[in-house]
Amino acid sequence: MTRTGPGVILTITAALAGILFSTPALAANPSPAETAAPEKVVWTAPDQEEAEKRAEEVVPFVEAVMDECRLCRQQRLRDVGLSVKDQSESYFLLNSPIIRKTEDHYGPVRFMHAKHAGVTKDCALCHHYRPLDETASETTRCSACHQEPFNKDHPERLGLKAAYHQQCMGCHQEMDKGPIDCAGCHRKNVPDHKDLIQLAANPEPFEVTSECLRCHKPAGEDMLKSAHWLWKGPSPYTLHHRKEVELGKATIATNNF
Amino acid sequence: MGLNRRDFFKYMAVAGATVAGSERSAHAWQSRAPSDPYGCLVDLTRCIGCRKCEEACNRVNALPAPDRSFEDLTLLDKKRRPDERAYTVVNRYVSGEIDKRDQLVPTFVKLQCMHCQDPACVSACIAVALTKKENGAVHYDVTKCIGCRYCMVACPFEIPAYEYHDPITPRVMKCTFCYERVESEKKLPGCAEICPVEAITFGRRKDLIKVARQRIKKNPGRYIDHVYGEKEVGGTSWMYLSGVPFEKLGLNALPEKPMPQLAETIQHSLFSYLWSPIVLFGMLGGVMWASKDKSDRAGNGGRSGNGKEGDYKGRML
Amino acid sequence: MTHHAAPVKAKFWTPGVVVLAFLMAAGAAAIIARFIGGIGYVSNLTTARPWGLWIGVDVASGVALAAGGFTTAFLAHIIGRHYYEPVVRPALLTAMLGYTFVVLGLMVDIGRSWAIWKPMLYWNPTSVLFEVAMCVMFYLNVLYLEFLPIVVERFKGGVNLPGPLAALNGPIDGLLKLADTILPKMMWFFIIAGVVLSCMHQSSLGSLMLIAPTKLHPLWYTPILPLLFLTSAIAVGYPMVVFEATLATKSLKLDSEMKLLTPLTRFTIFLLGLYLALKVGDIVVRGTYVYLLDFTAQTNAFLIEMVFGVIVPWLMLLSPKLRRSRQALFIACTMIVGGVLVNRINVFVVGYRPPISEANYFPAIGEILVTVGLIAALMFVYRFIVTYLPVLNKPEQEVSA
Repeated sequence: MTRTGPGVILTITAALAGILFSTPALAANPSPAETAAPEKVVWTAPDQEEAEKRAEEVVPFVEAVMDECRLCRQQRLRDVGLSVKDQSESYFLLNSPIIRKTEDHYGPVRFMHAKHAGVTKDCALCHHYRPLDETASETTRCSACHQEPFNKDHPERLGLKAAYHQQCMGCHQEMDKGPIDCAGCHRKNVPDHKDLIQLAANPEPFEVTSECLRCHKPAGEDMLKSAHWLWKGPSPYTLHHRKEVELGKATIATNNF
Repeated sequence: MGLNRRDFFKYMAVAGATVAGSERSAHAWQSRAPSDPYGCLVDLTRCIGCRKCEEACNRVNALPAPDRSFEDLTLLDKKRRPDERAYTVVNRYVSGEIDKRDQLVPTFVKLQCMHCQDPACVSACIAVALTKKENGAVHYDVTKCIGCRYCMVACPFEIPAYEYHDPITPRVMKCTFCYERVESEKKLPGCAEICPVEAITFGRRKDLIKVARQRIKKNPGRYIDHVYGEKEVGGTSWMYLSGVPFEKLGLNALPEKPMPQLAETIQHSLFSYLWSPIVLFGMLGGVMWASKDKSDRAGNGGRSGNGKEGDYKGRML
Repeated sequence: MTHHAAPVKAKFWTPGVVVLAFLMAAGAAAIIARFIGGIGYVSNLTTARPWGLWIGVDVASGVALAAGGFTTAFLAHIIGRHYYEPVVRPALLTAMLGYTFVVLGLMVDIGRSWAIWKPMLYWNPTSVLFEVAMCVMFYLNVLYLEFLPIVVERFKGGVNLPGPLAALNGPIDGLLKLADTILPKMMWFFIIAGVVLSCMHQSSLGSLMLIAPTKLHPLWYTPILPLLFLTSAIAVGYPMVVFEATLATKSLKLDSEMKLLTPLTRFTIFLLGLYLALKVGDIVVRGTYVYLLDFTAQTNAFLIEMVFGVIVPWLMLLSPKLRRSRQALFIACTMIVGGVLVNRINVFVVGYRPPISEANYFPAIGEILVTVGLIAALMFVYRFIVTYLPVLNKPEQEVSA
């Protein structure tokens, strides 16, 4: 990677700044270094800062790649002496602005690079091609080759989002290991409910419940079938007494909207 | 009384002329397909059935909220069709093939308007409410629609749906190919943009055909050697690649001839410049004139007998 | 030759008319429901089956069975067979009402009835339906103009409006007189135009389905479908006259008119024979006879259509004895009328089978009520008009050639 030098310096600066000013970690809001407004004290691990910073980078697009078969690729990596040991980071945040341009429904995936490398022991599994340019690094990040989808000049080159999904899900399926559903890797971005909720100034408890149910109707129905709603039991204070009282939402007694 | 032979031949000549017109060969039917439209290539071997395309379609087209959440994947097994509340749906098919883990291998099929190159609906529309745009979209303009539903009769893919429960202002509902997004906002169609695995490839139709051919060539074991929509009904803007025969996926075999060709050819050869009605009119006028003369001679004409109109009046009143 | 049409002197509210009024009320209720709850509320129409009973019967069959109008006009006025003039007026009335109710049926069926004028502004020359719509629109006006002289004849010089409207008596009478002078001079044009427009849209109704080769059953889907529609419409013209004249003369106790009807059906032997030959030739040439014994709903419907709607009545008409029998003639003509009705229903409803969703369709009660109500209304208006206008022949009057 050609930009490693300045990148590292910048990252260290950012990390320092983060520690000094206790910048809140903004997973959804990029550009951490500038927005050093000391509002809330939220500690963020330095490596997280670094990973966020790294995820924001968009590297120059690699136009041409060396098309070689999997075996040739594995051999080449052995020849240059690259192996699982040559890793700089333990994990990456997959949060490229290329994807975020069209997509805000899920949070970034924390890809445990070292762990995956350790398990598969085969760099060529993901680093399947290298740039045609001899001077370029042997392995590059995914987003060097996979950027915007449907590139007219490279009709068969997948976009970054599809490259991630096809690679991860395909391999998880193949190996019968690792998640293949959305929530297995992503946290869903919950939309800001401040604008969604329509309640009067001092709502009654019932109004609050019905406002939730306005959108989450199935959740409400599921709730009615769950133990949280159906639990029922004798009060320890009245147990074995003459006026035994049943507690729980399933009764009409207590805490039951 | 009765009909004499000569009159009958006159009549037959007229009928014959009409017949001859309709039988004239399909000489010059011209496709009106745009030369370089956009399209989408749906690779069914890539689709994972996440229904994100349905969700995105619902959002960008501001369609009504579904009865069941888009995250409910049990719906995939119902054989759904696009309807007035969903321009696109994904169905799951199983061919019986089993993978290494003894799981049935599913094939997910996304359905939506195919945006035909020579759309039957556009040819059929009584009032130009449906048009084929240069960018490939088959576009619906509700302000011209009268709700005759001939487009729905014509569509070989049974796609256009109708708001049957709106009494006064129902609309024909079908995939728009995100016409405004693609044309004005230079964005991708909602479904193609959101698809996490690029099962939908957006691009120029002719490039997509190349891409599809290349994928088949590169991976012949993975694909059926057929690009569904390349030739079907004269070509469609949306095309499919699959590893399972298309007939097993609800994508029926269809003729390669564009749907409107026969009807348009007949209409065109019969009614271009209204030649046949004019000829028929002239012939009937001639017959009327001749029969009037004859009936005058025979003495069974009208009272006045001074020309057609008087003649007619005498008989009619 | 003279014949005398006159208003029918009979009691209007007969039991039959009361039944018609009830059916009309039920149809009206269904139509109101359609305009409150939508088409989906009263019908079984779906995405895959967008056309049903209303298009098959109210529109397609309505147009075909109104063919008596142009076929009799052709016979009596264009090739000059004046002998048949007594049947022209009733046939004209049937056609006029038939087309009027075709348009009313369409208004119920199309989603945006208020937008029905839009095709006049936005022309789509490739659309068969556009051509049909334009022809029907013009032809309906032609029919009204052809019928106008009957109104003029009845009221000319005798306009007598009650109360404050009496002031309009003079102007209206003037208008009628003006129409009386102008209309006969133009009538030749309208008569020919009527025949031309009829030929155009009767055939184009068949072209409508040519755009759906994968949906219409191969027994009906043929490139000559427009020709078959035209010949069957022409063939059904005179049987429809017989059917309608027999019903009218029987129920109103008028002269039977057999002297006209028997020779009239001699043309039908040829016309229906031509249709039968085309139909048989078509299934032979295209080899679709292989489907005939499939015994599916569609192939059965085809057999019924051909056997009982064409072949049997054609054979009946071949016999001069049966042609002279009022009852046998009526039965044969009713079968022909029914055959064309079944044919149109088959082409637009039964034979229409969407191959992907394979959706079935059977008309909902609401659809049936609307269709029955419209037909009842047509008969009611017919009854009303013949009571007040000179359409049917005066009884006890010699009809001589």
